Amino acid sequence: MAGAAEFVEADNAEAIITRIETKSRKIESLLKQFKHVEALKTALEGSPPKTRDERCKSANWIVVHRAIMVIKDIDGMLNALDVEYYDILMKYLYRGLSTGDRPTCDQCLKIHEKLTERAGLGCILRCLTDTVNTV
Amino acid sequence: MANPLRLYLACIKNTLEAAMCLQNFPCQEVERHNKPEVELKTSPELLLNPVLICLNEAEKCLIETSINSLRISLKVKQADELENILTKKFLRFLSMRAEAFQVLRRKPVQGYDISFLITNYHCEEMQKQKLIDFIVQFMEDIEKEITELKISVNTRGKLVATEFLKQFM
Repeated sequence: MAGAAEFVEADNAEAIITRIETKSRKIESLLKQFKHVEALKTALEGSPPKTRDERCKSANWIVVHRAIMVIKDIDGMLNALDVEYYDILMKYLYRGLSTGDRPTCDQCLKIHEKLTERAGLGCILRCLTDTVNTV
Repeated sequence: MANPLRLYLACIKNTLEAAMCLQNFPCQEVERHNKPEVELKTSPELLLNPVLICLNEAEKCLIETSINSLRISLKVKQADELENILTKKFLRFLSMRAEAFQVLRRKPVQGYDISFLITNYHCEEMQKQKLIDFIVQFMEDIEKEITELKISVNTRGKLVATEFLKQFM
């Protein structure tokens, strides 16, 4: 398992970045069709696991950021999103809050409050303790 | 639209509630020592991910947790030069008297205006919920205090100037 992780880093960083690019094109097309929840789900799914490469994480963050900023109906979005995506979404929210950019922070704060109501403090704690799979 | 300041304080409150899970943990390197791990950062397995929550470009809050201690650093909004000086002086005044506050840190972390250090001992003596309420209340009150100080400085300035210039009338 550990061997597989290093394998991913060394050779497949480029492959991951290309995968993220195809994903971003798919998301753009979903957003044009106003399928915001689908776009967010696609953005959150392919999160590169166990990659240390900053470029992959930044590339994925840009894609997720795009999907988060267009959301207007937060309750509806959280209703439609599956429970397993809550943790990853929370990690990306904290990344958004650390940017300091006003519109991003506003949006992330709104979603954070609603997500905490649903997922509870455990979700936040899992973000804090997970030092292996960071975004 | 919901008030962003209220959301910011709610976010910090929730994060603190989740992060304030502290227990006693004697130092691993030196026997019979008990140090707050978040300050020393000697062992990475004892530290959690630090979290930065920004309201906008000027105000932010850094929360760093470890197994036996938690550090909260705040950067307060400073609109102009006068508020800058007032904030620095006022928070320095508070930090100097950190003994009385118990959870305050004598020097703020680099890049921030004021820092709190909460250890497991504080959590044992005081209620966790009340500690969190204290921090959030502190953040709300700081703004009001600085505005009040600014108004009083301006009023005094006006009075002094009026009195001084009366002799030339």
